[in-house]
Amino acid sequence: MSSPSPSKEQIATFHTHFGALSFHKRLRALGDQAVMMPVPRKLSASCGTCVKFFLPFDPAWADEDLDSVYAVQGQDFQLLFQNEEA
Amino acid sequence: MSKLKLHLPVILAGLVVGIASVVLVALGNPVNMGFCIACFLRDIAGGVGMHRAPIVQYIRPEIIGLILGAMIMALAGKEFKVRGGSSPMTRFVLGFCVMVGALMFLGCPLRMVIRLGGGDGNAILGLIGFIIGIFVGTLFLKAGFSLKKSQPQPAVEGLLMPAVNVGLLILVCAAPAFIFFSTEGPGSMRAPIAAALIAGLVVGAIAQRSRLCMAGGIRDAMMLKDFHLLMGFVAIFVAVLVGNLIVGSMGLKGGFNPGFAGQAVAHTDGLWNLLGMVLVGLGSVLLGGCPLRQLILSGSGNSDSSVAVLGMVVGAAFCHNFGLASSTDGPSFAGKVAVIIGLVLVCAIGAGNTKKA
Repeated sequence: MSSPSPSKEQIATFHTHFGALSFHKRLRALGDQAVMMPVPRKLSASCGTCVKFFLPFDPAWADEDLDSVYAVQGQDFQLLFQNEEA
Repeated sequence: MSKLKLHLPVILAGLVVGIASVVLVALGNPVNMGFCIACFLRDIAGGVGMHRAPIVQYIRPEIIGLILGAMIMALAGKEFKVRGGSSPMTRFVLGFCVMVGALMFLGCPLRMVIRLGGGDGNAILGLIGFIIGIFVGTLFLKAGFSLKKSQPQPAVEGLLMPAVNVGLLILVCAAPAFIFFSTEGPGSMRAPIAAALIAGLVVGAIAQRSRLCMAGGIRDAMMLKDFHLLMGFVAIFVAVLVGNLIVGSMGLKGGFNPGFAGQAVAHTDGLWNLLGMVLVGLGSVLLGGCPLRQLILSGSGNSDSSVAVLGMVVGAAFCHNFGLASSTDGPSFAGKVAVIIGLVLVCAIGAGNTKKA
């Protein structure tokens, strides 16, 4: 796999730490250099964990714990996907 | 430079919390207790008659301010999101257990840092225990612990906790005959209502903005090698230490008094100081934040955190009704049994809510 370019950097936020853990594991299994990190303050008032990853996001990866996915654009974030809630 | 900009809010928040704590002591709060979430929730439980320990009964305006300050800031930032329904009973029990541990040590994690800044060596044992508890908590998180996701709730669900606190504010100001006010002991030592309320409002607001969390700082450092929140923790210590040195030199109440024996509202039983804070650290990680953080979230629309806070309040009432809380003479036998049961219970909750990621 070629090394990811910064423009492909994305951040997924979750409702639970477990969601981040599962997503991180799945992305790693796909060969992505995903890392778990605290959610950037701009994205949430929660002190939870998010996952930074590089593979193009596939909505099929969304489970109930996934909240949103953002593209990282320097210091800003563009919403790519928001999970629906009941 | 950009990194400093990133960390500045949490560092400033820590400094403000530390300074506010020193000022509240100078204005009348017990020494090394400018803020203590556990002690103040315990005082409120006594103030409304849930326990009858006469020396710790007072509806603390600081708590009211923290919740309302967080609510105001969350509303201003469009971050007042009403959610709940994530294992409420489990959160209640975890909050209860956190209080049992805190009243063994005689302080929440915030007071632990404040005690360290006042020179109380017993808090070093508490800090070691807190770190151990957080470490065990991170093992549960890595193993797949989850209390399941919360769900959006009607607005009234998120507004009830702030509304309860407005009611408490009316009660403490009106002082009707059925409310309890300690006339001696820590509950009788209090800053003026307005000063305590303003300090709470300011700290609540900045804690909401900065996400300040005593447990989160150590958890993130351990799990994610991220030291952002830990900087707030350190900033509180530095501000309290410097503040105490200043007020001590001015002859005001408070000051830096290094040592183990004779510390204010503290005991010298190192093992039980440590074990009490193991329970607090572990319970806090499973709850997703320390008692301060639970208060802030409860003011921001999170009814799961409100349930955890209610667990702490009921836990405090139990601790004083059944002799579980320590005194300056040391821990009670019943308190030691309660901490052991609490540790077993919290570990069982951790194991029972863990699944493979």
